[in-house]
Amino acid sequence: MSERRAYGVHAVLAAASLAMVAPFVWQVITSLKTLSGATRVPPTLLPEGRWDNYAKVFDLLPFGDQFLNTVIMAAGRVAGQVLFCSMAAYAFARLRFPGRNVLFGVFLSVLMVPPQLFVIPQYQIMSSLGWLNSLQAIIVPGLFSAFGVFLLRQFFLGLPRELEEAARLDGAGPVRIYWSVMLPLARPGLVALAILTLLWAWNDLFWPLVVNTDPEKMTLSAGLAALQGQYQTDYPVLMAGSLIASLPVIAVFVFLQRQFIQGIAHTGTKG
Amino acid sequence: MWKSARGGAALLCAALLASACGGGEQASTGAQAGKVTLSYGVWDATQQAVMQELAAEFTRTHPNIAVNVQLTPWADYWTKLKAAVSGGSAPDVFWMNGPNFQLYASNGVIKPIEEQVDTSVYPKQLVDLYTYEGKLYGLPKDMDTVGVWYNKTLFDAAKVKYPADDWTWADFKKTAAELTDPAKGVYAVGAQLTSFQEYQYNTIYQAGGHVISPDGRKSGYDDPKTIEGLKFWTDLIAAKQSPDLKTMTDTAPLQLFEAGKLAMYWGGSWDVAEFTGNDYTKDKVDVAPLPKGEKQATIIHGVANVMSARTEHPAEAWEFVKFLGSEPAADLLGKKGPTPAYDGTQSDWVAAHPELKLQVFLDAVAYAVPYPVSKNTAAWQEAELTHLTRAWTGEVPIEQAAADLAAGMNDLLAKE
Amino acid sequence: MTTTARSRPVRAAHAAKGRRRPRTEALWGYAFIAPTGLGLAIFYLWPVLQTAYFSFTEWGAFGGHTWTGLDNYTRLLGDPEVGRAVLNTLTYTALGLVGIPLAIVFAALLNRQGLRGVGVYRTAFFLPVVTMPVAVAMLWRWLYNGDYGLVNQLLAAVGVDGPNWIADPATALYALVVVGVWSSIGYNLIIFLAGMQAIPKELYEAAAMDGASRVTQFFRITLPMLSPTAFFISIVSVIGSLQLFDLVFVMTGSGQSARANPAYARLQTVVQLFYERAFVTDDRGYAAAIVIALLVLIAVLTMVQFRLQRKWVHYV
Repeated sequence: MSERRAYGVHAVLAAASLAMVAPFVWQVITSLKTLSGATRVPPTLLPEGRWDNYAKVFDLLPFGDQFLNTVIMAAGRVAGQVLFCSMAAYAFARLRFPGRNVLFGVFLSVLMVPPQLFVIPQYQIMSSLGWLNSLQAIIVPGLFSAFGVFLLRQFFLGLPRELEEAARLDGAGPVRIYWSVMLPLARPGLVALAILTLLWAWNDLFWPLVVNTDPEKMTLSAGLAALQGQYQTDYPVLMAGSLIASLPVIAVFVFLQRQFIQGIAHTGTKG
Repeated sequence: MWKSARGGAALLCAALLASACGGGEQASTGAQAGKVTLSYGVWDATQQAVMQELAAEFTRTHPNIAVNVQLTPWADYWTKLKAAVSGGSAPDVFWMNGPNFQLYASNGVIKPIEEQVDTSVYPKQLVDLYTYEGKLYGLPKDMDTVGVWYNKTLFDAAKVKYPADDWTWADFKKTAAELTDPAKGVYAVGAQLTSFQEYQYNTIYQAGGHVISPDGRKSGYDDPKTIEGLKFWTDLIAAKQSPDLKTMTDTAPLQLFEAGKLAMYWGGSWDVAEFTGNDYTKDKVDVAPLPKGEKQATIIHGVANVMSARTEHPAEAWEFVKFLGSEPAADLLGKKGPTPAYDGTQSDWVAAHPELKLQVFLDAVAYAVPYPVSKNTAAWQEAELTHLTRAWTGEVPIEQAAADLAAGMNDLLAKE
Repeated sequence: MTTTARSRPVRAAHAAKGRRRPRTEALWGYAFIAPTGLGLAIFYLWPVLQTAYFSFTEWGAFGGHTWTGLDNYTRLLGDPEVGRAVLNTLTYTALGLVGIPLAIVFAALLNRQGLRGVGVYRTAFFLPVVTMPVAVAMLWRWLYNGDYGLVNQLLAAVGVDGPNWIADPATALYALVVVGVWSSIGYNLIIFLAGMQAIPKELYEAAAMDGASRVTQFFRITLPMLSPTAFFISIVSVIGSLQLFDLVFVMTGSGQSARANPAYARLQTVVQLFYERAFVTDDRGYAAAIVIALLVLIAVLTMVQFRLQRKWVHYV
């Protein structure tokens, strides 16, 4: 019975997928055209094999630096959050200490506040430390995350207690239990947090834009916005730049698709 | 509390990024006996090399003074400079422009020039631009005026004569009508809204109007002649000889010109590099003077070198500014960079592109008008856009928009 | 939380074991939360208080600020730009919610038993999610170009003369919503798929035995069981939409030239205005007041959603 309806389903999904992918195809085609080629009416479907646009991007953007900055920023934030958030999450889930619930509430309150509220004072802090235009500026505030603590605490709460109890009877302290028992068990949660942090760090615009204005210290996201400042509406150049900047995460996604999707799914269902 | 936050952050920094944090504070080398290092803030990457050359030349003649050229891109130059000035870390010498000058001078963060200097070697308009309450604060480095860049190929295709040196508004309008070809998607010119320096300001002064009163207290936008200067552009849009504002928002006039969709482009002398470097325009363009309205007029602007009021080396900073304003420095600049401001040093700049009539830009100095500014220029420049956008789209008549703008601008000027 | 109650018996058993452990355990507890706790305090909690304080000050051109009481707030209430920005942001947020039913429908189609090519479709939907928002905005600015953009070229092929989508006040905001939905649908879809897979199969089997069609099953089982997920997504996407910045920032550009876009009055958002006042015109006291207003807006809308959830969210 379902064969014919399956065609219908495929038709709908294929049309939607086309709407998702076609813009990217057009982006690639445009990036290989001259400006006068791209503004021809009616348009030509074939690219013109113009690699100059990519060269122009490299002329303007210190792409190597920005790529490296973005990688270091993302790696730093991921490592920091996975470590610090899992520590705090473990404590909130399993250790008893006075004021635990109040403190957890305080942590959560950060989640409720729109991040723009942090920006001006954070900028002041960076400025008074002499950290404007530095890697520290784009990494350090991103090492801490109330969201990560919340996500991982849910994970820890869902883990069975037996292994922990056994370790405790063997005389293991909280540090060993956290490191050798809990962390391995919480791997899916850690991976989810790592992937989300990577995605958000890579694509983050507001903070890097504000705090690092020197092209050599910029991230790709802010650098790309600067490219538009320079080339206005020279679309072939802009398409080339936006492709180069977004390709790395797309590549990571293609290779780690399953982890990406599970990571995202974890944020919706509670642990 | 603020201190403790800072301390905490520093502690964290120490713990987490021990190695990466090291670069936070610059070692204060060069402070030994008589050796001085000046910092020099500039914004144009294409001039960085020539600035370094100038710095090296200065150190050759002043062996005790080294100069460190610091480049900050235009987009962030003013934001960062403001932050540096408030934090007390401004460069000793830095580039200044017209719209920002009075803000810096009136707040006392740049240093007036004490020594008597011969200013007759620079265009008078630029000397005036950098004079505040009778005191000169900067020596002009370069200058720019505006001309009409045109696409000879499109002129030839439409069988239209190239602009004459003495052409008038009437000639311009006739030419514009002849060049417009809707079938090919070709417009005569783009009535750009965002670049007042190349567009509206010129026609306002050509029509005999003014943007701001000479004492900087009153808006000139309610002057009928000023409105005539604005109408020059809105008429072109209405006649479809210019793309409408929506089209120019989607594709900026510069790109339309470089794609062969605009026959003329009002642009500055600084556009030489752009048009000689672009694959499409490099063998198709030339430049003509702006057409004459009631008067002949073009906006002149130029960058000046100024000194921070809090520089630790005022004597050395002045030596450097004086050197940058000298004839040898201007000669060097003219060979590699923009048009130097120093009278008589511009021949190299003109000779660099014999295929273009660059002399047009120099001849324009004779009738040029300085870029209109006040203490808080940025505030009313935002108002100019907010109000005139509505006339450019045709939403309100230009007279109405100009009247609203005059009122808004007067409010802002009263607050200065 | 419910889990705390669940763990109580275990805990009581331990407490009886010895007196030494709880003391050191508490110390370890503080030690474990210390890094994140300090970081949040310095870079997040303290800044919130500071921003609140700044909202009562005026900043000088070269730093320094003076207390001006409620001036910024009275200015805020009378500022037509703020009014427009709030209205645009709310409209964008409300319209963006159509992405949720769309994502549910596509998730339901993908969730069909034995459907082939699920991986390919899922990848396609997910591609915009992993693409940098700046790049997405740039790409759509080009697609929406009135004269040379793909959208209008396709429309021209069927004889329609399309507008300048993001430069025309009549279409700009809607065009923006399309991009917002386009780039977030994959994210929502993944979460709905996970939610659907968590629905017990027995429910469907029982319904099928009762002769319920697939469509009936979707409305009677899938939708109610998914409602908590949908609630979560609507909370998250409303908060996200209210903070819209990247797309607008890239599509209009920033600072003065953005104001020459005839549709700017329809595109300006609260966060974009905040950015301009804080980092373009350096009016940071006023900018602080703007984000405090944003905080209030978010709090109110989130509260309203929690109120409304009783009417439509089914918890099992």
